[in-house]
Amino acid sequence: MAPDLAGDQQRELEQEQRLVEEAQRGNLDAMRPILERYAQPLYGTVILPRLGDATSAEEVLRDTLATAVEKINRFTWQGKSIYPWLRQIAINKVFDVHRQSKRSRRLADAMVHELPSESDPTTHADALLIADQERQTHRGRIDETMELLQERYRLAIELRLIQELSREECAKRLAVTIGTFDVLLFRAVRAFRKNFGERAPNAGAS
Amino acid sequence: MKIDDDDFLTGAVPDPDTEPTATERAHAKAFSDLIDKTLASGKLPPAMSADDRALLEVATVIRATHGALDLAPSKQRSVVEDALRQAIGGGNAATSLPGGAPVIPLRRRLRTLPWAIAGTSSLVAAAAIVMLVVRKPQLVTTPQTPEMPLSWKSRPTDTLIGRISTECTGLVLDCAREATVKTSARIDTIFSDRLAGYRDRRFGGKR
Repeated sequence: MAPDLAGDQQRELEQEQRLVEEAQRGNLDAMRPILERYAQPLYGTVILPRLGDATSAEEVLRDTLATAVEKINRFTWQGKSIYPWLRQIAINKVFDVHRQSKRSRRLADAMVHELPSESDPTTHADALLIADQERQTHRGRIDETMELLQERYRLAIELRLIQELSREECAKRLAVTIGTFDVLLFRAVRAFRKNFGERAPNAGAS
Repeated sequence: MKIDDDDFLTGAVPDPDTEPTATERAHAKAFSDLIDKTLASGKLPPAMSADDRALLEVATVIRATHGALDLAPSKQRSVVEDALRQAIGGGNAATSLPGGAPVIPLRRRLRTLPWAIAGTSSLVAAAAIVMLVVRKPQLVTTPQTPEMPLSWKSRPTDTLIGRISTECTGLVLDCAREATVKTSARIDTIFSDRLAGYRDRRFGGKR
């Protein structure tokens, strides 16, 4: 790691510690910069990939941040970022949503990854690096599942959901009618979900 | 494991070249319309079947994992603001009590309120029990009533009829008959005495 980067990271950690301690002394508004910093990684890499619904994800994020503010006195500074603590709150909230709405937990289970850096208390891992690592892990699982799909299904998903091309453009690239592309995409997502859930290491656990 | 909303989804997926049925074609078109709406608004449409929702969630996960669904900065600010407001309980998030005293969030206050009430009630009940046990017992004194005039009191009948004997050595039936006769005689004696007393009081100037 470059010295400058390490220095920046150390300064950020010190600033984070000051803010946490200030919040623990009663000035809860000190949490604002922390929440603003970690809202996006929590939403994009922890909550939304486990819920698949942006509206629910926003609600869970709000609830997560509110809980963090309420329970800040329970957080013990251990020389590393508060992010893993926030992440755990978010994951618990996601499972609450699945339990309360009696929805399938397939997505949440499929996205269960415990990052090694979290379990090592001596690691001063930067929170954004953790988030990035988690995003890469999710993407790895998505890519693995994509590899299991038939070529045309994989293409349908890539064109429509990743590149976000229009149906007409997707149909044109696959040299089929729009109606046929709709069927291809429909089957592709079904096949993806089937493989994604079945390959989840902890599917159905807990 | 079979999950509630998986009924439609657990079946085998046909090969790409398999001719779709009219039903599948219609469902596929409806699903594509839902994808269009989701891509346009960034959110799942509010009304749809559980099967479609499950598929759309998968689609959203794929998009989110590829970074296509970030939280807009304005949305992020409003979520943070709402969270602080929610935690502090509708007040100004920037306020903290003078002297650095912790601001107890509303939700925590609401959560602790039943415990506070239960604790207070228990303390009051315990104090009451202690008071009952510890305090000196008060002497129960019979209230002093003024002596009533003799004429107000019921006079004993012992001097008139003597002690009533229940002993009988004869047959049960004879004893019963004898007791009835004696009882009747006693009542007559008492009645005569009381009537005489009434006459004395009423007509002899004794009131």
